[in-house]
Order: sequence, then structure tokens, then C-alpha cells
Amino acid sequence: MSCETDARVVEVQRRALEANEEQAARLRNRFAAAGTLVVNLISSPGSGKTTLLEATVRRLGASLRCGVLEGDVATERDADRIRALGVPAHQILTGGACHLDARLVERGLDEAAFGELDVLFIENVGNLICPTNYDLGEDFKVALLSVAEGDDKPFKYPAIFSRAEVTVVTKADLLPHLPFDLDAVRERVGTLRPGGTFLVTSATTGDGVDAWCGLIEARLRAKRNG
Amino acid sequence: MHEMGIALEILRIAGESVPDGARIERVAVAVGELSAVEPELLAAAWEAAVAGGPQAGAALEIDWRPARQTCAACGEIPERVPGSWLRLCPRCGMPLGIEGGGELDVLRVVYVEDAEETDGEVA
Ligand SMILES: Nc1nc2c(ncn2[C@@H]2O[C@H](COP(=O)(O)OP(=O)(O)OP(=O)(O)O)[C@@H](O)[C@H]2O)c(=O)[nH]1
Ligand SMILES: [Mg+2]
Ligand SMILES: [Zn+2]
Repeated sequence: MSCETDARVVEVQRRALEANEEQAARLRNRFAAAGTLVVNLISSPGSGKTTLLEATVRRLGASLRCGVLEGDVATERDADRIRALGVPAHQILTGGACHLDARLVERGLDEAAFGELDVLFIENVGNLICPTNYDLGEDFKVALLSVAEGDDKPFKYPAIFSRAEVTVVTKADLLPHLPFDLDAVRERVGTLRPGGTFLVTSATTGDGVDAWCGLIEARLRAKRNG
Repeated sequence: MHEMGIALEILRIAGESVPDGARIERVAVAVGELSAVEPELLAAAWEAAVAGGPQAGAALEIDWRPARQTCAACGEIPERVPGSWLRLCPRCGMPLGIEGGGELDVLRVVYVEDAEETDGEVA
């Protein structure tokens, strides 16, 4: 061990993820200049992100220029599902990483060459923890929670539910079969994110999808009108 | 799982904060309850990040920052047990807000300048 008196202290006070945040700020400027609304969708694997996006672009695709960046560890499957609906999609393969970061999004965007977009949806890698910290230059984060995952999840994963401006409960058609207390979830999310938006959807029956699409349209108008 | 990437960023920032050739003894970081970072996983990732490199043996000191729940009327709610959440103010029944807990910051670095001289006698 070295002599303690030789030790010096330097105060640093820097954000650990400042490099990602700087890159995200550049992306945010780029999206602002283009007038593109950017939505970052985050959930556990299989909560219904791609299915909700399919329902969304079916409704919005005719009136708005939509594009989708799909983040996955492997396979082009989710991007193929979106392209099958005639909407441009690009798959970002993270090569094992459990989340997208601003650098991957910037590169994916350049590769995708979507042209002008009204709305860019970014489907993050299925994971309720790791994507939380990584700003992608989005306008807002959406946390999806399927009713099959259990009503305790907001308090078990408070970081994402506190940071997501919008929470979407998915697969509501399964509610009759599951002990999922929707009011308790609404309350818990409200505790973590006072004033946030809480939506309940079923991509199977279409319930709540209009409200979700209405939110996207309203946020796009608000962004365009400053 | 993302703690390794965060550990590497902390190491990069710490390295930028000290003179060339300095040996880092300790890096202090703030980790908030709502940062989505597990302190034990970050500590393990840090061990792996410094192992075998020029800063092998550098310690990571984690300053844990719980979130605070606050009431617009009554102020901070001290009744809150960390790790659990209150929905309504126990005093006035109003919905509570949340403050802090999102920290993920490099606070300070303790280092020894010119590691060669201070390493003591070479065997
Ligand atoms: N019953 C019901 N099933 C649904 C609904 N939405 C999605 N699913 C099913 O849930 C499964 C997973 O849906 P995906 O949309 O692929 O989920 P994801 O979140 O994109 O999954 P990853 O990309 O792998 O993280 C599929 O079998 C869907 O058919 C819904 O509203 N109701
Ligand atoms: Mg998917
Ligand atoms: Zn009160």
C-alpha cells in the first residue's frame, strides 16, 4: 500500500452516461429539425411491443409517414413484421447488448435511410431494466406492461415506470383470465410518475388502440406547433 | 446486464480526470434508487473493468441515493421505507410526488500522481 498522504482528490461531478446523453442530444436536434416525433417503446420480452406497433401503423400508416427501428439481440423478425404492412422498418442487431443506445440508433437511422418521417417508433430490446438509462433522443418513453406479467411490476421496476411518460397496459383481453388488479397498477404507476399518461389496450380486440394512436397524433401536432 | 458498459464509462471519465500516469486509488460514484443500476452488479462489473489494466486495484465507492417521496403540502415524507412506495400522504391524504433517485454520477477520484515514485521500493 502506498503512503496515504500522497493521495490527491479531484472533484469530478460528471454524469456516468454523459457520452450517450451528448449523442442523444444531437439526435434530438436532428429530429426537431425534421419535425419527427420519436417514441421509445420499452418492455419485457413478449409484452406486445411489435404487435401494438403493427396495430398502430395499420391505423396511422395511411395518414402519417411512419418508420420503425427495431432493436433486438438477434433476428430480423420484428422488422419483417412491420415491413409486411408496407411501412419502412430497419432492424438494429445489438450483438448481445441488452439495450439500444444513441450511437446504435444514429447508425441504424443512417443505414435505414427512411427519408422524411412524421413519426419514428423505436422498439427497444425486450428488457425492463437496461434500456431505462439510455436516452435515444426520443420525445418520450413508453413502458408497456402486459397483464400476464403481474400487477406488482411497477414497484419491482420503479426506474422505468418513473421515467416513462406513458404507460401502456397490453393484452387487456386476457384480464378475465388473470388475477391482475388494473386499478392497483394505475395507482402504482401514478405514484412513480405523477401526471403520466396511463392507457389500457388490447391489440387482439383493438380496445384502447384508438386512444393510443390519438395520443401519437396529438403529440406530433404539439411538436410541430412548438 | 448493462452495468459493464457503465463501469467502463466511469473508468473512462475517471481516467480523464487525473494527470497522465496517475494511479487511481478510488472512484466515488452516486447511484440512485431509480437509476436502474444494481450496486452489487456495478461493483462486480467494476472489478472486471479494472482487472489486468493500468488501474487494477482501483476501488469503486458507491454512494447510494434513495428517492424521496414528497407531498406538495407537507414536504418530504420521512415515513417512506426505502424500497417501498407510499401512494398517498400519511398526513393529509394527497397524492405524493417523487424526487431524486435518478443519480448516476462520477463524484470524485482519489489518485496518486506519478505511480512510479510512490510505489515504494521495487524488489
Ligand atoms: N391475447 C393477446 N396476445 C397478444 C396481444 N398483443 C400481443 N400478443 C401476443 O404476445 C406475444 C408477443 O408479442 P410481441 O408483439 O411479439 O411482443 P414484443 O414485446 O414485441 O416481444 P420482443 O420483441 O420479443 O420483446 C405474441 O404471441 C402476440 O400474439 C394482445 O393484445 N392480446
Ligand atoms: Mg418485438
Ligand atoms: Zn401531505
